[in-house]
Amino acid sequence: MIEVKDLAFSYGKDKQALHGLTFSVKDGEIFGFLGPNGSGKSTTQKILTGILKGHSGMVSLFGKDMQSAHTREFFQKIGVLFEFPYLYTNLSALDNLHYFASFYPKEQRRDAEELLHELEFKKDFLKKPVSSYSKGMRQRVSMARALMSNPKLLFLDEPTSGLDPAGAVLFRKIIEKERKKGTTIFLTTHNMLDADLLCDRVAFISNGNIVALDTPRNLKEKNSNHSVVIDYLHQGKREEQTIEAPALKAGIPFAYDELISVHSQEPTLEDMFIQYTGRGLT
Amino acid sequence: MWRGFSHLLKKDFRLMVSGKFFLLALLSLFLYSCYINFVFVNLDQEMYPVYLYDPQDKLPVNREYVTKLDSREALEAACKDQYSVGIDFSRDAPEVYLLSCGRETIDHYRMTWGEAILHGNADGHADRIGPYNKEMKNRREITAEFLFFELSAVGFLGLASMLFKEKQMGVIRVHGILPVCRPVFILSKLLLLLLSDLVFAILLTVINLGAAGAVQVLPDVLLQAGILSLIMALVGFLCAVKLPDFKQFSLFYLILAVFVTTPVFLAEQTGMEWKQIVYHPMYHLFKAMKAAYFSAPITKASYYLACLGAIILLFLLSYQTLNREIAKEG
Repeated sequence: MIEVKDLAFSYGKDKQALHGLTFSVKDGEIFGFLGPNGSGKSTTQKILTGILKGHSGMVSLFGKDMQSAHTREFFQKIGVLFEFPYLYTNLSALDNLHYFASFYPKEQRRDAEELLHELEFKKDFLKKPVSSYSKGMRQRVSMARALMSNPKLLFLDEPTSGLDPAGAVLFRKIIEKERKKGTTIFLTTHNMLDADLLCDRVAFISNGNIVALDTPRNLKEKNSNHSVVIDYLHQGKREEQTIEAPALKAGIPFAYDELISVHSQEPTLEDMFIQYTGRGLT
Repeated sequence: MWRGFSHLLKKDFRLMVSGKFFLLALLSLFLYSCYINFVFVNLDQEMYPVYLYDPQDKLPVNREYVTKLDSREALEAACKDQYSVGIDFSRDAPEVYLLSCGRETIDHYRMTWGEAILHGNADGHADRIGPYNKEMKNRREITAEFLFFELSAVGFLGLASMLFKEKQMGVIRVHGILPVCRPVFILSKLLLLLLSDLVFAILLTVINLGAAGAVQVLPDVLLQAGILSLIMALVGFLCAVKLPDFKQFSLFYLILAVFVTTPVFLAEQTGMEWKQIVYHPMYHLFKAMKAAYFSAPITKASYYLACLGAIILLFLLSYQTLNREIAKEG
């Protein structure tokens, strides 16, 4: 679906934003693109969506080279959720969706009301102007806008930003549903939980370079010390021991009366990011 | 492409309605027309008063315009207002006395008027100016001025305020990923503003010149209005996309009004002499608008080529600026 080789981009003479990125995204995959502010992830997404021109290296989408890919047909096949909910605040959710959908062929469009219902949008607000919506409601309408055209390739930039925990769970379900339909998803995020739960593979980008690329599980496993912490009661006292995971094969290798908890010492995705880049995801 | 264009047009029309653009235009039309019909057509400049010092009563003069005085001192005192004209006939030959008002042309008119009194052929009424009577001449002149002002300042502001709204909402960026040509985004706004300006020009002309007078000048007026409307709409578009906030835009608007439009009015409407004004592009647009209202349209190909060149250049700059805005960070 997406093939990128030696992608480089510069905003000016001394403002090299990307230094030869190479990666690919398979059909139906959710690909996470993680990096701190200013690392080059937005620039990459803008190049892939055809917003930014003037890159070097090879970029191909839908099997077509990027130089010739940005046709009307290309834009009909992609959906983009921006970091901020860009909507006409004087129009209602329905009017916004009908307006943006009107640029796509009829047979490709989804029903706006149905989509908003799926996103648990409050019915009472369907015809009220966007200016009266909360941030979460605006984010729902923006997500609906991105999905309205049944895109084959979906670019999501911080999809759960501005949502409460229940809203974030709902969005993850919707993203999963899209993947099941065969939609390829390019997810740009700071949110490690989203990346961990949703992405088939993630790329860590720092200072315009990809510093690691693998499945979240592999990234964590590679750097795990394979130990567990066991919390237990023994002779009326609460105790804790750290042991190597293979040692558990023969059962718990110490005396105990009651097990309280067993914690894996596997690093988190954020730990991995810091390890690879030396920077936090801020 | 045309399907996208019609949706953009519909959306821009709704934005213009919600921004009360048409209401403001109607209000302007009402105010301009009231001013023209109830105030301006009745305005007239008073004849220069003439004071005569003629101790020997040598001059038979029309008493309607002349006030006789008893001394040279009284004559000098009467002419201190820099408006009146004095005639001193105390010696063998009469002498016109006046204090300069600071404008050579007006001083010249005063002198000519004084001499006309001296020679006894003064007639204070000018019934026809070219093919028009005085009222029609005034109506055409002020209508041309109001239309020029409306298109260059108010229309410009209307489009810019609409675009600022879209910019603040961030929706311009969404248009960067829609299956629609980006130039169409500019074209839909231009077309709407152009149509609205042309309708405004028709109404203002018909109301203030009457149907017969309007039919005579409308083809030329619409051509000039169209050129001015497109240029100002593109300048408004460019500034609204380029400038980061409405504060800076307001400052720019002030500069445009004070330093760009005002000199044109001053140079054309007052006795101010300023030869360099011919290098001011708006001056030529203003002259062309006035010429259209007096049925003497500009026929120079160079003028129309320059306008076309300006429109194309501004369009390309607007397109480039729009692309930059779309690529900007949120």
